[in-house]
Amino acid sequence: MAKVLYIEDISDNATLAQRVLTARGHEFLWAKTAEDGLAMALENQPDLILLDLGLPDVDGQTLSIWLRGEAALEKTPIIVLTAWPEEVARQTVEAYGLNGYLCKPVKLDHLMKIIDANLVG
Amino acid sequence: MSIEIISADHFTVQELVDLYNQTRVDYLVPMPMNVERLAEYIQLFDIDLRLSSVARTDEGQVLGLSMLGVRPPLAWITRLGVLPAIRRSGAGDALMDSMLAHAQSLGMQETHLEVIRNNVPAHRLFLKKAFREVDEYLVLRRAPNSVPEAVQCDTIWLEREAALEALESYPRHLTWITALASMHNAPDLSGIRVEFADGSSGWLVFRCHKFSLSHLIFHTEQGSPVKVGIQLLATLYSRYPRHDTYAENIHVEDPHLPALLGMGFFDNFRRIEMRRKM
Repeated sequence: MAKVLYIEDISDNATLAQRVLTARGHEFLWAKTAEDGLAMALENQPDLILLDLGLPDVDGQTLSIWLRGEAALEKTPIIVLTAWPEEVARQTVEAYGLNGYLCKPVKLDHLMKIIDANLVG
Repeated sequence: MSIEIISADHFTVQELVDLYNQTRVDYLVPMPMNVERLAEYIQLFDIDLRLSSVARTDEGQVLGLSMLGVRPPLAWITRLGVLPAIRRSGAGDALMDSMLAHAQSLGMQETHLEVIRNNVPAHRLFLKKAFREVDEYLVLRRAPNSVPEAVQCDTIWLEREAALEALESYPRHLTWITALASMHNAPDLSGIRVEFADGSSGWLVFRCHKFSLSHLIFHTEQGSPVKVGIQLLATLYSRYPRHDTYAENIHVEDPHLPALLGMGFFDNFRRIEMRRKM
């Protein structure tokens, strides 16, 4: 069982992820804004972070820099979930040193696969 | 369904944010806002909420919104959006007509807007409203990364007033977002000016936020724009090595583009500027 933090402003997306992840026995945490996301990540030390790039206060790219700048979160896997085109998502993950991406609408089996792959070890 | 258009100043900024975010929930480029961001947007881009509109049904259900920026003799239509479930019901059309009627009644000579490339329905709507494509612009992004050291040359960091002064001399068209008037409204403007021994010179004006840089505008007065651009960026990142960068509306033929791409910027999306004579 892992602790997964999802930083996402759209509640429908978060609810769906929560349903799937808790059914698999994971602990699910949800932050609606970048600021809350950073605070929750620091407080809860998740095993993995799912990050939406389009956040209302600060965008996901900038938030990923904040997260990576914290020693405690430096190695936490961060998976981007985004509506951006695949090529932009790929470049973003590469440029910001993140661990993977899924383009929305996210397929649940892809979500589980990428989470499992990044929780190994 | 009967659609009523009412002035956006009947709503709080929070209500406008909620509506705007709902209209963009499935958008090509996700750009949600919060109250602070929309308030800044309104101030920065001279949005007049009295001339901006919300569409709603006669039963009071909100359907969409559009905002109008005013800088005589120009007007600017922005933030147009309609809730996904009721698109193609005429709400977008009604909002556009309302914006154009306001621009016309104010005696504006021209109305501008920008549409994201590949946003086919919006592009089609704007063509139907007699807007014509003028130019294409890039929205670029750069994560913090290593940069080459700036070479030796005369470098001056420009405070806000000096940065505005430089921008006043900019010889080409700037879109509404990076226009001099927008930068006049920005409190966090700075710049860099470089001058090489061989006479090459130029400047960069930008906004500096706590964790990011934005609104980059380059100008080379003399010499190679690539050489000047690289020097400006190397100088910029020597001071802000951990800042994220979001460079909006860089013209597709901007001669500094190779410098930007060489320094790790990548293409996020493209905007097409469209204009309509009034």
